[in-house]
Amino acid sequence: MKGYRKYFGKKLIWFLITLVCAVILNFILPRLMPSDPVSAITGKLAAGMSDAAAVREIYERYQEEFGTNKPMIVQFGLFVKNLFQGNLGKSFSQYPREVSDIIASSIGWTVCLQLPAILVGWIIGNVLGAMAAYLRKGFDKVLLPVSIFLGNVPAFAMSVVLLVIFAVNLKIAPIAGGYAHDMIPNFSWPFIKSVISHYQLPFWSIVIISIGGQAIGMRSMSIYELNADYVKYSRFLGIKDSKIVGYVFRNAMLPQITGLAMSIGTMMGGALVAEIIFSYPGLGSAMYKAVVAADYPLISACTLIITVMVLVANFLLDIVYGFIDPRVKAAQVD
Amino acid sequence: MANENMEKKSSGKVMLEVRNLKTKYVTRFGESVYAVDGVSFKIEEGKSLGIAGESGCGKSTLALSLMGYYFPPLHYMSGDIIIDGKNISGMDPDTVRKTILGTEIAYIPQAAMNALNPTQKIIRFIEDVVHAHDPKADKKAIREMAEARFAELGLPAKVLDQHAVELSGGMKQRTVIAVSTILNPKVLIADEPSSALDVTSQKMVIRMMRELMEKGHIKAMVFITHELPLLYNVTDDIMVMYAGQIVERGTAKEMVFDPTHPYSHGLMGSILVPEEGTRGHKLTAIPGTPPNLKHPPNGCRFAERCKYAKPECKFYTVPEKAFGEDRMYRCLLSLDELKEVYSHE
Amino acid sequence: MKNTLRNVFHSGKFVAGFVIFMFLLVTIIVYPLINPGSPLEQIGVGTFAKPGTYVSLYDAAKTNPDRERETLRLADADDKRLAKALSDSDRVLMVEWLGLKGVDLEGIDYQDTEALLELWHANYDASFKPKGMTSAAQKKYKRLNDALLDLQTADALSVMSDGEQLSLIRKTDYVNVGTVTNVKFLPLGTDNFGRDVLKELVGATKTSLGVGLVAGIVATLLGLAMGLLSGYVGGIVDDFIMFITNLFTVIPGFILLILISYSISQEFRGPATVAAVIGFTSWPWTARSVRSQVISLRNRDHVNLSKLSGHSMLRIVVTDILPYIASYVVMAFILQVSSGILSEAQLSLLGLGPKTTTTPTLGLMMNWAMMYSAHTNGSWWAYFPVILTITLISFSLNLMNTGLDQVFNPTLRD
Repeated sequence: MKGYRKYFGKKLIWFLITLVCAVILNFILPRLMPSDPVSAITGKLAAGMSDAAAVREIYERYQEEFGTNKPMIVQFGLFVKNLFQGNLGKSFSQYPREVSDIIASSIGWTVCLQLPAILVGWIIGNVLGAMAAYLRKGFDKVLLPVSIFLGNVPAFAMSVVLLVIFAVNLKIAPIAGGYAHDMIPNFSWPFIKSVISHYQLPFWSIVIISIGGQAIGMRSMSIYELNADYVKYSRFLGIKDSKIVGYVFRNAMLPQITGLAMSIGTMMGGALVAEIIFSYPGLGSAMYKAVVAADYPLISACTLIITVMVLVANFLLDIVYGFIDPRVKAAQVD
Repeated sequence: MANENMEKKSSGKVMLEVRNLKTKYVTRFGESVYAVDGVSFKIEEGKSLGIAGESGCGKSTLALSLMGYYFPPLHYMSGDIIIDGKNISGMDPDTVRKTILGTEIAYIPQAAMNALNPTQKIIRFIEDVVHAHDPKADKKAIREMAEARFAELGLPAKVLDQHAVELSGGMKQRTVIAVSTILNPKVLIADEPSSALDVTSQKMVIRMMRELMEKGHIKAMVFITHELPLLYNVTDDIMVMYAGQIVERGTAKEMVFDPTHPYSHGLMGSILVPEEGTRGHKLTAIPGTPPNLKHPPNGCRFAERCKYAKPECKFYTVPEKAFGEDRMYRCLLSLDELKEVYSHE
Repeated sequence: MKNTLRNVFHSGKFVAGFVIFMFLLVTIIVYPLINPGSPLEQIGVGTFAKPGTYVSLYDAAKTNPDRERETLRLADADDKRLAKALSDSDRVLMVEWLGLKGVDLEGIDYQDTEALLELWHANYDASFKPKGMTSAAQKKYKRLNDALLDLQTADALSVMSDGEQLSLIRKTDYVNVGTVTNVKFLPLGTDNFGRDVLKELVGATKTSLGVGLVAGIVATLLGLAMGLLSGYVGGIVDDFIMFITNLFTVIPGFILLILISYSISQEFRGPATVAAVIGFTSWPWTARSVRSQVISLRNRDHVNLSKLSGHSMLRIVVTDILPYIASYVVMAFILQVSSGILSEAQLSLLGLGPKTTTTPTLGLMMNWAMMYSAHTNGSWWAYFPVILTITLISFSLNLMNTGLDQVFNPTLRD
């Protein structure tokens, strides 16, 4: 038990450190750039304005809003204080809506779309990879190149292809949105049905692109494990092959959890872009709208919240992994 | 002294008999490598046999072949393996798996360090082993049996509830021995079980195996190694293998003090000269490398490297020649000729 | 070295990837020679012209009637014209009329133009007004009938210039496409701005490969330096670099990329800047793998020998370490190039891609196509070739990488 506690402690500390670093980066990166965000925004907003006084007024207003006229450290204190109060500022493009309000209304969509999709993709990928390793021959010969190909189709490309085939040409799925645009969100059956039908295409495009990479990883892990000494030894003790295959796949699958943790950031990046293609009402689309409208507070909030989500996902995966793989506990002893 | 101890136990009953066993590897490109080529020997109850040879001589393949359970790339060709009067070589693989492996004959692999599934508790593995032969076995009974055996071998019972990754190297090694012999197999095949261990652990491993035999949990043992000094202390008889064939067989004492075949002579010679460093020389003292077993030479397989080879050695197939009290060697030269050439050194 | 190369080229996967990549590379070099000019030149005024050959109507009409035109009497020419002129809704109207007129509709095939017309001419009667039909509908039928008669009887168009007739174009007049002065072949049509998509695509591929290359070089050099430093020096340097590396592998690079790109004002955000930013956010992966390689090499005999011989650290790294990790670095570089191209595309789709008025990138092309709904209005040529190119680039690079991996790490070979 001590080994586990040590492991969890380490992971928790690491999680907190990365969280703090992420917040600092989110604050400091835009401010490190040659042009400060306020002048960049003012520039964007004031494009086409000839009245210098008006431009100046806009500049000062935003300087006040962001506090960029104060020293950096004070600004950071303000930033953190606001963060703790859940105050992320007001959106420019949807003024005077609170940014936290926009985030709150889109985060659920993103989590409900991406979490199941990435998990399903992970499971299917692992099963296929294991089958390729165990069956070899024809199945492997087909699966490996297909996996490499699928793993290389960018998320947005897969989304566009699915969208064109199933929504535009076959017309069996809606083209855009998270639910029919003439509906008001509620818990009625037609609304849920609409949500489910809008869910299909974004979901499957994320699933398909996650399969490839996972299948390749699992395949090589399984091949490595199939050649392990314990396989031969177990056979010579008379244990059935089907049972031994069970050992092998369990051992190959466990490190894949870490693999998922490592790639979840990249996967989410792709999935966010898929949201944009489907105009899915999640964080990806929110961020896209924010970029188009030069809505600085919203972009900043989106990047922060996505980073936090990735960090939390990573942390949870680490914890799960620690529970189910005894190798973790053993590694803590020395 | 240990040898004498064991001799007392011998009842003359043959526990393992191998007759003209031939097995091969088939490579990815469909080529055959004849790694075990006509091996015959017998071990009586209570006896142990050592097999020595440099790496690539086929001794590890022989160990695998003795199990009677083949999967690619290893293939059975011909010959008999008879365990306690039961010929297992013609048996259907699944019957071998259920009724022979682990119960009649058991195996301790070369790299015992990695032989245990790292993510499984030892007791779960033992359950799997027992259930493979008796699916109805009661888990509680298995646990009691395992605890008793572990206690007998001086292993703490808590090991049963640990995973292989949590055990130290020596502990894993001993656990493997305990697991391999949990079903009291008649014959135990140990393939260099101690090569990766330090000297103290090596001694421990050998002591454990001897104990198992003395207590009657196992009836006969085959011990494969390239470390000759180790073999001399452990086994009753020694066989020297070269290029897939047995080149000489005799008691440990005879083999060490009176080696006959030029290959054994070369091997044993190097140990008996302590000042030259017994460990450093070992089996590499003979220049050259063993022949390629994809296309084994027609004549004597050792001829290329033999100091005493005559021209005809490369052409004549050499038969096994019996001599003395159940000894055998495989050389074209007669005993007298060999004595003659050795005396000139 | 020669042997290694031979092994590499014996790997089917590497060769397949290499061939695809070379094909793309040769195309971006050769195509601009055949079809020079700016890839962003707007040649079309409308949006999304379909792929195909465009013949100048003016030049075709101005061809000399005696020398450049041939008279071809093709039996099915009129039918084809009619078939094209009769829309599906016209056909439905015609059949409805026939039904009102009491014709047996059994066995009438809408698509059989000839049979339909025969029935129509036999039964149409301008004075017939079925019960319930409005006079507007009746007029519509009359217009339809007139148009059909006109198509079948009219014989020629006259080409006028300043009120003077230049020539008559008869239905049987043909010109060889080769004699028309201006013919434009647009294999992939035009995009939303009326640009030649193929030309744009070739230019975009070139820029995107450049972006990937720069990003890959920046990431690999940084990663290599960090990995070497961390692995070879060890101690506190290692701890520090590993901290940074671990930090940037959990904080998604994509997010950093968005933050940085957004903060760089548009005028500075050319392809080179974007490429450098991508490189700066993706080096930790390379650093991590270089470090583990270096650690496994650090205590090898030949390295220790060099240390004892008093060679400088730089020399040891260059002569005793780099050659051993070269294959890993090459593989990591290939992957970095591929992910760099992908990152650019994703950034551009978000609207944060390079701002350029001279060269397109694959991501920008995708962004434009999406903004103008090419995917929902059926203009496949505006986005599908882009998707295919991105996928092919990344597929070929990864295939090469897998091939190399199998050559250098033989345990995975079978």
